[in-house]
Order: sequence, then C-alpha cells, then structure tokens
Amino acid sequence: MPSLFELQNALRDVSLGGDASALASTIIGDDFAPEQRLNVHRNNTTILLSEALGATYSVVKKLVGDEFFDAVAGLFVRAQPPRSPCLFEYGEGFGDFLATLPATTDLAYLPDVAHLEWIWNAAFHAADVKPLTSADLAPVAPDAYGDLIFSPHPSLHLIHSPFPIKEIWDVNQCCTDPDATVNLDEGPQSLTVLRPKANVEMIELSPEGFVFANQLSEGATLAEAFAATQNTVPDFDPAPTLAVLISVGAFQSYTLRS
Amino acid sequence: MTNLDHTAHRLASPISASPLPVRAGIGLKAQHYQEIFDTAPDIGWLEVHSENYMCAGGPTQTWLSAMRECFAISLHGVGLSLGSAGPLDSSHLKRLIDLERRVEPGQVSEHLSWSVADGVYLNDLIALPYTEESLEIFSTHVLQMQDALKRRVLIENPSSYLRYAHSVIPEPEFLLNVAQRSDCAVLLDVNNVFVSAMNHGFDPIAYLDQIPADLIGEVHLGGHSQVVFDDRVLRIDDHGSKVCDEVWALYERLIQRTGPKPTLIEWDSNIPELSVLLDEAAKADRILAHAASREEVHHAVAV
Repeated sequence: MPSLFELQNALRDVSLGGDASALASTIIGDDFAPEQRLNVHRNNTTILLSEALGATYSVVKKLVGDEFFDAVAGLFVRAQPPRSPCLFEYGEGFGDFLATLPATTDLAYLPDVAHLEWIWNAAFHAADVKPLTSADLAPVAPDAYGDLIFSPHPSLHLIHSPFPIKEIWDVNQCCTDPDATVNLDEGPQSLTVLRPKANVEMIELSPEGFVFANQLSEGATLAEAFAATQNTVPDFDPAPTLAVLISVGAFQSYTLRS
Repeated sequence: MTNLDHTAHRLASPISASPLPVRAGIGLKAQHYQEIFDTAPDIGWLEVHSENYMCAGGPTQTWLSAMRECFAISLHGVGLSLGSAGPLDSSHLKRLIDLERRVEPGQVSEHLSWSVADGVYLNDLIALPYTEESLEIFSTHVLQMQDALKRRVLIENPSSYLRYAHSVIPEPEFLLNVAQRSDCAVLLDVNNVFVSAMNHGFDPIAYLDQIPADLIGEVHLGGHSQVVFDDRVLRIDDHGSKVCDEVWALYERLIQRTGPKPTLIEWDSNIPELSVLLDEAAKADRILAHAASREEVHHAVAV
C-alpha cells in the first residue's frame, strides 16, 4: 500500500503524461481498465490548463489556430506545470517556450506577441495604485530634477520587439476587421504597457525613449537615465518622453537622491 | 468596463455577511458581471472561485466588490488542496485570509479532494484514498484552515472517477468523520453524488440519506457530461450543461428531508446566457419554497 505522498506523486506524474501502468494495480477498474479511469485525470489537467493558457494567450491562439495551440500548450503544461493554484499567474514562461520549438521558427514574432500578452495579463491583475501626476512634482525645485528617482507604477511593463507587436495584437482582438493585415516589415516597436485605472493601455515609445524609460523604471535618477540615453542618442531630449510617462501614469511616487 | 470607478473600495455592505440566504444562488462568471450589475436580478446570492480573485488588484476585484454591495457572496476554493500529503501552502492560505477579510463572505468552502503533489498544481479535484492516514491528514488541514480563517468552513463531497484498492472507509463515512474531527460542516453536491454513484455503482439515495440535515450548510447543483469507453459510460463533472432530471429528483428528495438549504447552480464551462442560470435558480427556488411551506404546515399542526 503506497503512502499518500507516494500515491499523489505517482498520480501527478501520470496526469503530466507519464506511464499509467505503474499505478494500475492501485486503481479499482470496475468494468474499465484502470488506465481509462486515470486518463480522465490526465485529460482534466491537460485540457483545463491548456484552456487557462488559451485565455491568457488568446492572440497567440488565434495566430496559430486552436489545434496547434492545444498541442503546444499540452507540451508546455507537461514541461512547466503550475506551482500556484491562481491560474492568472500561470504561464509566464510560455513565450520563451514557444521560441524553443522548431515548429514556430517561421513565426519569429510569435514569442514577442506572447511576451506582450503576458505583460498585459500582469498589468491587468496588478495592484490598484493612484499614479503620480505632474502636480505631485510641484514641490521639487528645478535644480533638483536630476536627483529625482521614480517608483514605477505596479502595473508598468516595458517591451521591445523587432516586430510591430502592438498592431498584431490589435488586429487579433475580437470585433476587429477579419481581413485586417499587418506589415511585418514595419520595423521594431517599443511599448510601455500599464493599467493606471480600469483599462490596460499600450503606448508606443521612441527607441531612445524606451532606453530612458527602462533606466527610470530600474531606479536610475533622472540625471543618470538622461546620461545613459545620451550614450545611444547624443541629442536626446528627455522632456517629451518624461511628459508622456507621467501623463500615462507610469510612476506611483518619487524620491530625491540625497 | 463601464459604470464602475476602479478606485472604489467596498464600504460596509448593507447585505449581511452571514449566513447565506436560504435561497438559490448562482456561480458568478465574468461574462455576466455587467448584466448582473445593470439588471440586479432576483437571486439569493453569488458564489465565486476564491482563486480567481486573489490578484493584487484590477477589474476582477473591482467587480467582486461591486457585487458584494448587492449580494451575499460564498467563497468556494479550488486550490488549497486539503487532501495533499505534506503541509498546507501557507502563502496560499494567507491569500485566502486576505480575500475573506475583504469580501466578508457568507460561507467559505473547499473540497474533499487533492490537487497539489509536491508543489505542482494539477488544476483537478482528485479523490483521496479513504484510509486512516488520509483521514488524519485531511482533518488536520481542515482544522488549520478554520483556525487561520477563524470560522467554520464547508467541505464538499467530490465527483470521482476512480477508487483505490487500499481505500477502506466509505466516502460518506469519511466525510462525517472529517466533520466530527474538525467540526466543519458539509457542502453537499448532489450532482457529485450522482456522478460518483454512476461511475462506481452505488446508490446515491443511500449516500445522501447518511448526511445529517444540520451538518449541511450549502447544496450544489450542476450539470455533467458523459464519455463512452467501449460502450461503457463515465460521467464527467464538467459543469457545462443544465442539471439533469435524475439530479433534480435527488435534490427534491433531499430538500424534503432536510428542509430548505442555500443552493448553488454551478456552471463553469460552455457558459450560457445569464437567463439560463436564472431559470435553473428559479427552479431550485420553487423546490425550496415548496419545502418551506411544508415546514410551516408541519409547524402549525405541531402548535
């Protein structure tokens, strides 16, 4: 007689695709083969977790089709099953997993679309915090601006792709024109994705604005972020990007480096 | 989402936290948020899967707060995995406590099953072997859950697809033993009893009759499907269709014995229009009202 721990580990392995025959003697068949009964649980895990992935990665699913998606999701479920029962947290590694599959090499943009969907999902479920406004910065003396350190809004994410992933995302939402197309040669795209209020928003940044925003989100002072961006683009003007980031609600608070 | 201010935090709701109204409720689904909010249908209460609302913030939480303003809520957990060997997931329990404090639910429930093995969540409610070892583990976990939440919880009988050769305790007896050891109450799922009875060849009436009325805090009704293996049928509890006639008959018989109990219409896959759920709830409400009127007659005769 197996201990409960042994039994549950063995059944977990079966549910994740392992050989069911080892457990067969533990299961009462009762008119069925024990493997048929075990198969119900394998299907539950595979199908329900694939559905959860399909809900988070609906654009990827639309791009590759249901059949292909279910096959890939099934592989992912077995390779990286969830460690938390909160399924809105499940599937962070799916984009990277897609990138490793030979079958998706012709769809080079697919992993980036998946990354975009993941951060959209993370922004959707992030904590509700009132964003910093320009009025909040009124007490800061202009000569101290360089020492400003911004704390990013909990929903803030930044993503860069060689492909126009926002357009791909847009034309694959429900209720969009089914004949709409995206020119994949439109070039790279840098986005900030965040949810300052009820709705998740995606805002395109310039390549240098993206470098600058990345610096700020990682805790650099305004002066440091400016200097780092100038290394790439010597005539970079930080004011427009900073104005955009503050107006969209990219930060929740600030401190001054003392 | 419209009509809702995302910054709104729940004020003390005019709807009492406890207990659940003795009426039919429905499972709350995202597809129906707006319609329920706009039309305020006459339903007794709402139930949600706790895990779906354990996020840090965002619209799902805002909707739940808005619903709690108007309805009593039951928190139905699918992820604590009380039947797993090894300790309970303390971080998950903490999230449940936070949710419970925020929602002030009428009931908190979990399942007589397991879904986690060695840290992996299988997203499946799997039956336990009914042994002295698992009785001890399960009862201890229920006690820990209740201590953490500072409230009595309901434990739901599972749908099962397999039994273990080393199981020695009949399921209803196991459930009653858990209730006795941990002082929890029972969420009696009539569809689950029927599904398991058909899958294993036992009498569902005998099972239902073993559960004392005063132990039942809530009843579940849902639909199931059938899969055929070599001309033999296994019933699968997928909550994707209407409650079947046999289950309605079992429910009616149960309620005649126990008197009215808060009753949930569950529907989790192939989710239909809200009106379909409301029709099912109205059907349960009629059975509850009939039982209540019978109780009144009995009471009048006794007086």
